[in-house]
Amino acid sequence: MSAQRLPPDQYEVTVERPEDFDTFWADILERLGNVALDPRMTPAPLRSTDEVETFEIHYTSLDGIEIAGWYCRPRAEYIAPPYPALLLVPGYISEPTLPKSWAKLGYAAIGVAPRGKLRSNGQFNPGYPGLLTHNITDRNTYSYRGFYADAIRAVDFALSRPEIDNARIGVHGSSQGGALTVVVAALRGDVIACGAAGAPYLTGFMDAASLTHSNPYEEINDYLRMHPDHLDAVTQTVSYFDCINFAPLISCPMLVYIGLEDDVCPPETGFALARAMRNCQAELHTHEHCAHDAGAYWEMAEVEAFLAEHLRPAGSGRPEMTVG
Amino acid sequence: MRPSNFDSYWDNVDAELAALPAQPVIEELPLRSNEYSTVYALRLTSIGPYRIFGYLCVPTGDGPFPALLQTPRYGSVNHIPDYNDRLRYVCLQIMHRGQRLADQPYAAAYPGLMTEGIDDPEEYIYRGIVADCLRAAEFLLSRADVDSNRVTIQGDDLALITAARRSGFALVNAAGLTFYELADRRHESSAYPVEEVNEYCRAFPDRTAAVESTLAYFDPLHHAQALDADVILSVAGDSTRYAPLAEALSGGCDFYELTHRGGTDHDAVDALVAGRLGVEPMSRFIRAFGQ
Repeated sequence: MSAQRLPPDQYEVTVERPEDFDTFWADILERLGNVALDPRMTPAPLRSTDEVETFEIHYTSLDGIEIAGWYCRPRAEYIAPPYPALLLVPGYISEPTLPKSWAKLGYAAIGVAPRGKLRSNGQFNPGYPGLLTHNITDRNTYSYRGFYADAIRAVDFALSRPEIDNARIGVHGSSQGGALTVVVAALRGDVIACGAAGAPYLTGFMDAASLTHSNPYEEINDYLRMHPDHLDAVTQTVSYFDCINFAPLISCPMLVYIGLEDDVCPPETGFALARAMRNCQAELHTHEHCAHDAGAYWEMAEVEAFLAEHLRPAGSGRPEMTVG
Repeated sequence: MRPSNFDSYWDNVDAELAALPAQPVIEELPLRSNEYSTVYALRLTSIGPYRIFGYLCVPTGDGPFPALLQTPRYGSVNHIPDYNDRLRYVCLQIMHRGQRLADQPYAAAYPGLMTEGIDDPEEYIYRGIVADCLRAAEFLLSRADVDSNRVTIQGDDLALITAARRSGFALVNAAGLTFYELADRRHESSAYPVEEVNEYCRAFPDRTAAVESTLAYFDPLHHAQALDADVILSVAGDSTRYAPLAEALSGGCDFYELTHRGGTDHDAVDALVAGRLGVEPMSRFIRAFGQ
């Protein structure tokens, strides 16, 4: 017996929102706020050009963990400050973007390396595979508790820079970067002006794992095959980290784009996410026959235009394609 | 231009590898295994000497099976082989030196790997990386559970170079070439990792000739004549750029023109490989459940 897959927009995800979801995250944000940011910038002349200055950056995040990243800004003689800021958040296995091409467009661009990524893995390094299921039975020590905080903390780094216009800060990424885009827009709604999320991951975790055998969600299937008695604990934990539960908190304009044959982040979850963005102006772009690329070949121009509409950079050019 | 000592350069790599026993250690990973496939952690010694890592996956049942060697991507992480591939093939995903699980004592930097030691072909990091791939090929091709007539290698330039230097592959499934005519074409791109080479040459202009000389050893064009396996080369847009490579290959070369729709492209290339290896094509996107 087999059953045909329903059209993805007709699928109802099973995610429940914990009653203490808001207080759980309020507590984390309070803890994060009590950690001194200690922002540091080291020039990276090898990675700089006549138009763009590149810096290696570090800051301190939740639990005192040091986080690395790249910061690229237009040279003042190329484009005068102030600049809009763009946080570029990374995919699951990809390295943090060195966002020179975005800086050439006029953004002060930050490529974030949350804990466990290269250069941020000295104190926390669950590995790949591993990150998705690290302490997945306990919301208070689950890997993504700190990982999300590190991305959120990048907003504070942006706010620490005098050349950045604090009213024009956006966030963009694909796959895990799409998830981090949602989380940052939701939890830093006081600052974030817009977000563009491709192929959002960490959305409908348990539904997604049942709809695919592709990595990384297959890590959950592997884990539950080994530990079937942990199903309830896993389901409960990930509900605190599910983008569908963050989505109603977003108030800024959002662009979400998905592939309708995405085997990594099933399109059903992308539709559910867009429906949950009920308190903001959200555009959902869908691409037939596209997989985890989410139609990036066509969508990058849309992303660029969407961000430019809301953040108004002064430069021109084409950014490097965002990958998950 | 093909370096005058191109053959001896690579012969020396082969000699270094031949002098070092691979000393394989295979350890089952129950967490990653299922009823259809067993996954193993594999460790091998490559030149240096350096211990590298791989995920070896063997289908359940009686072999020999067709096989698939996946060469490393540019980045610190390579996934465990895909679920569908594990059903059909003995799969080996190798991590080269510096990548996660093969990052002790040396951890690669991204960006940074692309230009590490690039002034001197003897010191260039990719000399060792190619050796790592060659070692993986030797291991896979020697396994009793592998049908030696049905082995594919897939990846980027590393797949082409490896297949050129180790006979036994029926097919090369290649895409995303970086080193092909890189010395001449690097100015056309500011995307990473090509931009790493541009950055290096901007910072050290007096070393540009040396850089371009080193890159020539890794240009698949110069390896093509030794490559007698059939090649599927996925290209974006105009394939004429790759005509010199196709003409230089000793085996056949079919271009697959990417549509940029990942579902379509995956299924098309999967069907080409599966057809050649005598297994059923499979889509990664599940269209029906309970089959």
